[in-house]
Amino acid sequence: MGKFARETYTVNGVKTVVYTAGSGDPLVFFHGAGTVDGFDFAEPWAERFKVILPYHPGFGESDDDPSYTDLHDYVMHYLELFDALQLDRFNLVGLSLGGCLAAKFASEHGHRVRKLGLIAPAGMIDPMNPILDLLAVPGEQVPELLVSNFDVLKKHLPEKPDLDFIGDRYREATTVARLLWERPGDPKFMRYLHRIKMPTMIVWGDEDKIIPVGQAETWRRFIPNADIRVYRGAGHLVHLERSEVVDALGCFLG
Amino acid sequence: MSGALRFNAMHFMPYVHLPENHKDYKSLWVSFPNKYFDPEKGHALYNRYLSEMVLADKLGFDALVVNEHHNTVYSMMATPNLIAAALVPQTTNARICVWGTPPNFMLPNRLAEEYAILDVMSKGRLEIALPLGTGMEYWSNPVNPATAREKFKESLKIMLQAWTEDGPTTHYGQFYTYRFLNPWPRPYQRPHPPCYIVGTGSPETIEIAAELGFGYASVFVTQQRAKELNDTLRQRAAHYGHQLRPDQFPLLTFVYVAETEERARQEYVGHLQRFFEDYARTTPQYLAPPGYLSVDQLKQRAAMADKMHGGFDFDAISKSFFIAVGTPDQVANKIGEWSQWMKTDHINCVMHIADMPHWKTVKNLTLMAEEVFPRLRARVQPSLRAAAE
Repeated sequence: MGKFARETYTVNGVKTVVYTAGSGDPLVFFHGAGTVDGFDFAEPWAERFKVILPYHPGFGESDDDPSYTDLHDYVMHYLELFDALQLDRFNLVGLSLGGCLAAKFASEHGHRVRKLGLIAPAGMIDPMNPILDLLAVPGEQVPELLVSNFDVLKKHLPEKPDLDFIGDRYREATTVARLLWERPGDPKFMRYLHRIKMPTMIVWGDEDKIIPVGQAETWRRFIPNADIRVYRGAGHLVHLERSEVVDALGCFLG
Repeated sequence: MSGALRFNAMHFMPYVHLPENHKDYKSLWVSFPNKYFDPEKGHALYNRYLSEMVLADKLGFDALVVNEHHNTVYSMMATPNLIAAALVPQTTNARICVWGTPPNFMLPNRLAEEYAILDVMSKGRLEIALPLGTGMEYWSNPVNPATAREKFKESLKIMLQAWTEDGPTTHYGQFYTYRFLNPWPRPYQRPHPPCYIVGTGSPETIEIAAELGFGYASVFVTQQRAKELNDTLRQRAAHYGHQLRPDQFPLLTFVYVAETEERARQEYVGHLQRFFEDYARTTPQYLAPPGYLSVDQLKQRAAMADKMHGGFDFDAISKSFFIAVGTPDQVANKIGEWSQWMKTDHINCVMHIADMPHWKTVKNLTLMAEEVFPRLRARVQPSLRAAAE
């Protein structure tokens, strides 16, 4: 984790691991429904922000809490973590499922979020541009669906998945199943998106195989003032494939 | 029961008309296209299989066993209570074992009702098993595998409450709310039909059986593992104050009887091979949907699957699983030894497998009943009797 420092907090009984680096305005990043892609990409942000990278409960180095069965449980978790971190107002960026969580947090607690960045966010029920149901995809097929240029992801993956790697992925899929198995989309999510009034930037790769880039226009309907940028030739993990995405988000949030 | 040992005839009722290209499919479960089901052929198969179960009753099998699977050629019994209902009026002596519908896929009161109806209709011949359901079923039914075990426990509690407490009662739980739990009819057997938990040996499931004092039927585990699971269950049940009887440990065995050992192998082994390689063929993803297993269990099973690579080897499989194929003497000897070793008097015999034709099934059932039963029933089983008393 390079220049990041590891901190551990106990939030309502759940051990939560947070990596931090840099100084300046706080920038919180919510990872997506898996953690193989890592946090390395966020290093440039540490030059101008205090970067805060928490692992959600049930993912990465944080502990499980099987009672988290709704995304709202994560909103409550973060309210408590941010209190522990003494974060009052901050920039918030979320990727994919983390983007959905960030948007939900911002729609409920807008006064805490200075600016919002969403990277290929999940959560939109958009029948014309349906999200790929990753729970139905065999695990070994998932990595190549995440990017257009596989090389950027390859370095984060073991050459041959060992039992620990398989177990880690199964654990994170279990966490996702608790949230999404019966109801992959929550119709109430979109109902409150209009409450997002802070400056918002949404970025997308036009070759996203998980959440079609067509959803970007659907987001615009709910957040009309959002700055939406589409990157050509990039997939779902557009921030890994294009370093200028990280730079653009940094400029926007700065 | 007519002797020291009890014999069940178990049938999977598979759909046997696989398309020529079926090897192109990694799984004949969950996602195998249902366009390959031909209702004309299905009709003939249901009639044939029911006649085989009815024959087993006439021949003196003590029980007939049906079970539930979805989206697969492996079994055409997506709703086994319908099959059981068809068997009840056509049979007289055999107990009817629905082993069983996973409670998670039904409203618990409705499952309690269906079982009670079968029990009353059959004048108390029903026995049931309460499975969690294979991983595959959770891809085919809209139930969360990550909360399956909690839901399963709550369903069991509701069913038992419905059967053991005078209604109306109430239930306020995590998954279900009953303001008037008061199902009609109530079971013929009091307080309820004999219950078994069935599974592949997850410690969590064994613990449920132990706590409730239910029997446990392990399926698709090796002989050694089945023995360990029985021993564990006896210990854990004792911990909860339950002394389990030998008949609460049904021993699942694949059986084929013929005139000579060579002939038995010749007539049987191909079907068994196709059972394992085709009918049971599925993917690791379907076997373990997210949350269906603990991470530790998932890793253990993944490690085991790595070791089990290699082609079908009848001799190897016969050594590790309960497979009795041979002459009446050979089959009787094997089953006799296993029942002693496993401390059970309850033998659950799979009498039809994969694409075995009708004539072989009839032959197998007949030779088993007429040649093997007398050999085994003539034997005294003092250790088991003592254990039971």
